[in-house]
Amino acid sequence: MDKNYHIFSDGRIERSEDTVRLETDDGEKKHIPVEHAEAIYLHGQIDYNTRLMSFLNDHGVAVHVFGWNDRYAGSLMPERGQTSGRTVVEQVRAYDDPEQRQSLAASFVRGSIHNMRTNVTYYNSREYELGGVIEELDNATARIDDASDISELMGVEATARRAYYQTFEAVLPDSFAFDGREYNPPPNPVNALISFGNSMVYANCVSAIRATALDPTISYLHEPGERRYSLSLDIADLFKPVLTDRLLFRLVNRKQISRDDFRDEVGSCLLNEEGRTTFLKEFEETLERTVEHPTLNRKVSYQYLLRLEVYKLKKHLLTGESYDSFKRWW
Amino acid sequence: MYVIVVYDMEADRTHLMLKLCRRYLVHVQNSVLEGEISEGDLATLKGEIEDLLQEGESVMVYELSSDRLLNRTVYGDDPTENSRFL
Repeated sequence: MDKNYHIFSDGRIERSEDTVRLETDDGEKKHIPVEHAEAIYLHGQIDYNTRLMSFLNDHGVAVHVFGWNDRYAGSLMPERGQTSGRTVVEQVRAYDDPEQRQSLAASFVRGSIHNMRTNVTYYNSREYELGGVIEELDNATARIDDASDISELMGVEATARRAYYQTFEAVLPDSFAFDGREYNPPPNPVNALISFGNSMVYANCVSAIRATALDPTISYLHEPGERRYSLSLDIADLFKPVLTDRLLFRLVNRKQISRDDFRDEVGSCLLNEEGRTTFLKEFEETLERTVEHPTLNRKVSYQYLLRLEVYKLKKHLLTGESYDSFKRWW
Repeated sequence: MYVIVVYDMEADRTHLMLKLCRRYLVHVQNSVLEGEISEGDLATLKGEIEDLLQEGESVMVYELSSDRLLNRTVYGDDPTENSRFL
């Protein structure tokens, strides 16, 4: 599986000698092996030209841009290698069929609550008392089948997530007070970590969706058009507990990330460059970690799990094979 | 898999090999590159190396099935460190 490259420096990236070269404002030159790149993440101020874009297009490398306050600012995607009108038609049909949409949305909610629950059970079996949260999550799961429409499902998901966030209060040290999820902008370190981590999960899902012929704007749980790539939001919800949250607990509890890794501004708190590098290093390592897949009978990386999830959805849409969302099994 | 590529080229042609290998690997020292590579890419790279080579020049490719098998000690700066965080 190809790797993600992250550019924090300011400067310029260009095509040079058949690969990608970064020239920083300090005059340093660094190379990215293009044959080895899945996507390039731009966190700094970077110039580039159209020659680079065509080159990246030829190699199928995506560029994800992060702007002010680490907000996802958009992606430059390679021209679609995969196009399939039939897939898009089926995708829209499934959206338009209330029953099918409901069942897909329910599957997303079920998966994401399951994955939250796995995290809670893990910490509950250690020194923390989280039985109450588990109960609330189970109650939410029980309500999925009774939900009569999408907005009710969204409600179930939101209730579950609110309960789930109590885990953060319990598991994280007092110096990292959480006090509920807030963003735009995140007011404290924990929220900053969640926002940053989730935006990485989101961008990785955009890459995964783009590898298929599915249209990233047509989604089932989230309303299409709410944000640009709403299908990515559907898929990302399944993986946030596995990719962002567990990593966050680990980094804070092992003191790999400390209060010094953030910069505070009026009403907001964001990771500074050192903090982002620490987080991303571990995040990328997590993506590369592998688990034995029960049906494929081989080891797959977490990153490939994102890809598999999109393939499963596509298969469901094209063949009608039932879609069972990703549930952490290990 | 993990490979180390070492080459010896005519002085005015070294840049060609560097340019070729840089597409796949990290340049660690004059005439030395290393890094993770897939089997498919390695096969392609080997083919391209062979095409490029002229008489009197040589390239060595050391292969390991995984970087876990490699004991690597670096004195001074490590060019592969942070090669994905620029």
